[in-house]
Amino acid sequence: MHLTLPFLQTVKRYCFQPVCGEMYNVKFIFTSTLWAGFLHSNEKGADAQEWGVFMRIEIREIAKKYKNNVVLEDISLTVESGKIYCLLGASGSGKTTLLRIIMGAISAEKGQVLIDGIKMPNKQMLAQIGFMPQEDALYSELSILQNMKFFAGIQNLKKEEIEKSAEGLLQVVGLLSEKNKLVSNCSGGMKKRASLVTTMIHKPKILILDEPTVGIDPVLRRKIWAYLHSLRDNGTTIIVTTHAMDEVTECDNAALLRNGKIIIADSVVNLLKKTENGKIEDLFFVDTKEESVCFQ
Amino acid sequence: MFSITKRILAQIMNDKRSLAILFVAPILIFTLLYFILGDSGYIPKITVYNVSESVLTGLEKSAVVEVTDSLPELKEYVKTQGQDAIIWADQEGMHIYMLDRNSKTSKVLKAFQDINSSSIHISYEYATNDDNQLDSLSFVFLGVISFFFVFILSGMSFVRERTNQTLERMLMAPIRRSTVIGGYTFGYGILSAMQSVVIFLFSVYVLKLHVQGSYILCALIMIIMSLAAVSVGALMSIFANNELQLVQFIPIVLIPQIFFSGLIPLDTIPYGLGNLCYFAPIYYGCTALQKVVIYGEGIEIIYPWILGLLTMIGILFILNTFLLKKYRRL
Repeated sequence: MHLTLPFLQTVKRYCFQPVCGEMYNVKFIFTSTLWAGFLHSNEKGADAQEWGVFMRIEIREIAKKYKNNVVLEDISLTVESGKIYCLLGASGSGKTTLLRIIMGAISAEKGQVLIDGIKMPNKQMLAQIGFMPQEDALYSELSILQNMKFFAGIQNLKKEEIEKSAEGLLQVVGLLSEKNKLVSNCSGGMKKRASLVTTMIHKPKILILDEPTVGIDPVLRRKIWAYLHSLRDNGTTIIVTTHAMDEVTECDNAALLRNGKIIIADSVVNLLKKTENGKIEDLFFVDTKEESVCFQ
Repeated sequence: MFSITKRILAQIMNDKRSLAILFVAPILIFTLLYFILGDSGYIPKITVYNVSESVLTGLEKSAVVEVTDSLPELKEYVKTQGQDAIIWADQEGMHIYMLDRNSKTSKVLKAFQDINSSSIHISYEYATNDDNQLDSLSFVFLGVISFFFVFILSGMSFVRERTNQTLERMLMAPIRRSTVIGGYTFGYGILSAMQSVVIFLFSVYVLKLHVQGSYILCALIMIIMSLAAVSVGALMSIFANNELQLVQFIPIVLIPQIFFSGLIPLDTIPYGLGNLCYFAPIYYGCTALQKVVIYGEGIEIIYPWILGLLTMIGILFILNTFLLKKYRRL
């Protein structure tokens, strides 16, 4: 019984989704296969050695203030390589600030960030990171492909290399036929997908995604998570921020942030055990009388 | 650096409106200036009373003259009859009555001056008698207009890079900060160079602008000046948090510079405020342009101003690269 339950859940999740219908499931399985194929081809490629390396992120006692406003207080956590780490918290809880400190875009008053034992900020290390900002961060006067080519170009990738990865990635997110469409003419979901593949164009070993699924419909959201899972299975370390509680279950580990402090950090399996009815939001009300914490 | 340059050019090519603003708008403004400041061929209308025969025939050479036999109520008459001036003589001498100072009344004065034109000979060292106001002020407009459009375009696109977070994404690649600023300056430099050449060719060959010195030197000064405009635009955008704030910066940056463009002689400005001109790129550019366009000087005379402009671009480049640290610590 215990063995069959997860299997049944998976079947239920992927095959009997009322929203998606049969057509979608076929498409989903098809794209997942493509995605796996793309990653596989990368692994076999010239830079197989690079892809073999797994990156671990250590965050030690980070503190950050803006004037007298404390944004982050004594944040310590470790993101194991090849795992998806979720930073969960309300808007303004300091998630984006923490991401910016990890990459070295802003400095912290206290503490340090080590990636693979190397202290950040480090320019060489930036080449291993793919960062997706909260905004779509694409040039609206350029086409999707032009955007990808530009961001690949500043990573000093070779032209043939860019063409190959761009085609592969666009096919996976179903934008291949739309690749020459100007970003200003794209829908919100298309922009989000374009932004995601632009982040991945240089095959980074670490992905830092700031709310990648906000404003995305459930079908596309599941697709994006499926991509992230397949990337993780190939050794990519991923940090994701979200304020949607249900997305935590897609991750391996999670930290709950409130007012710049970590309330709780553990593996998602353990976190779920700590709740009474399997609802992650219950954890937010642990040790607090505040009932006005609002989530979107 | 070239990927940024290439991207900027591709962006502009896909954005037809910006392209039009860059090339068509300055041409339209120049054409407008040509008609406003150029010779309009207006013939003034003058009423005369009790003037000598020689004055009357003199005035009739360049004005429509009407003779009255009594001096009318001045203000009422000029206003209602649509005349530009009343000229009369009495024992005190000649009187000219006009409502205000404008281009029509200056034509009246010109006509009055012309009465004795056979005995007065006016000559200019650096202008011909055919030159109109546009010719004598062309260096101001050439400089200011090419500075203005490039400044807005580059400043805006830099602000947008930040609000769209594309700058953040770009800086998260192992790219040097100086490469970002260099790529920007070079990309918009190419555009503004094309713009300068278009404006210059249009004003010389279509509007028949009188240029005393070398055409190539003129175009070169305009190109260097627009490079400075890109750098100033980038600098201002770092202090602006959004597009609206940048728009508010435009008058602050531009209007004081126009005062230093050569419109007003600098030595007449009190308290040594004229020395502020050394901080204004437009001062260097317009002064050099003035020396070439009006005085016909060559590179051996104008090189200090060109060097001043290049120094300014260098300082702004270093400053911008440094200020970009705000967005990435490396």
